[in-house]
Amino acid sequence: MHDALIVVVLLLVAAAATGAVLQRDPARQAVVLSALGLTLAVLFTVLQAPDVGLAQLAVGSAVTPLMILLTVRKVRRKGRRE
Amino acid sequence: MNWWLAAALALVTGGLGPCLWGAARGSAGRRVVAQNMATLLLCLVFLLLAQGYARPSYVDLALVVAVLGPAGTLVFTRLLGDEIGENPPGLRLLTPAVLVGAPATVVPLCIATGPGRAMGKLVLIGLLLIAGGIVTSAAVRRA
Repeated sequence: MHDALIVVVLLLVAAAATGAVLQRDPARQAVVLSALGLTLAVLFTVLQAPDVGLAQLAVGSAVTPLMILLTVRKVRRKGRRE
Repeated sequence: MNWWLAAALALVTGGLGPCLWGAARGSAGRRVVAQNMATLLLCLVFLLLAQGYARPSYVDLALVVAVLGPAGTLVFTRLLGDEIGENPPGLRLLTPAVLVGAPATVVPLCIATGPGRAMGKLVLIGLLLIAGGIVTSAAVRRA
């Protein structure tokens, strides 16, 4: 059961990472990136490293998307002004 | 055979997989709803894993997801704004999913752990999940 869990979560991480790479729009990519962070946190937990998973959760689920979306917003606003 | 891990595996394949699919395709609103659903399922998966591995300290992960998941969704609704649009698909499922999923996972876990501090933590996580689900679905609807 434990090995099956690891294999399934690894496949999910691979799928999420591929999906994140294939996106064109940065704002929508941030959503996929957040989902990738969540799957990575499960992977770390399943591999018995919950402390790494905790850090991944804090960074991946809220902070990275926030920074990407703020950057996108600033760049778009600047582009409109010029 | 560990039934807690089996339930976690079923939730990962049957729940997180479709959520990933929803987050990777379609309109911005659908993606945000799918991502929010993924955080809810993830919290339940962490609770089941903690019980399955018999490590009560893993419950902390579920607590962090229950707090940070809705926060992430609120960030998306605030900054994506207009792109989300009226009534994104799947939004109606969100509140019923929380109201069914959280008690269906937390109550068996409470029975398994027995009364004490650990059970209080589980109940707190369940309440946080329900509150987060209601707040985020209202925020997405208003965006």
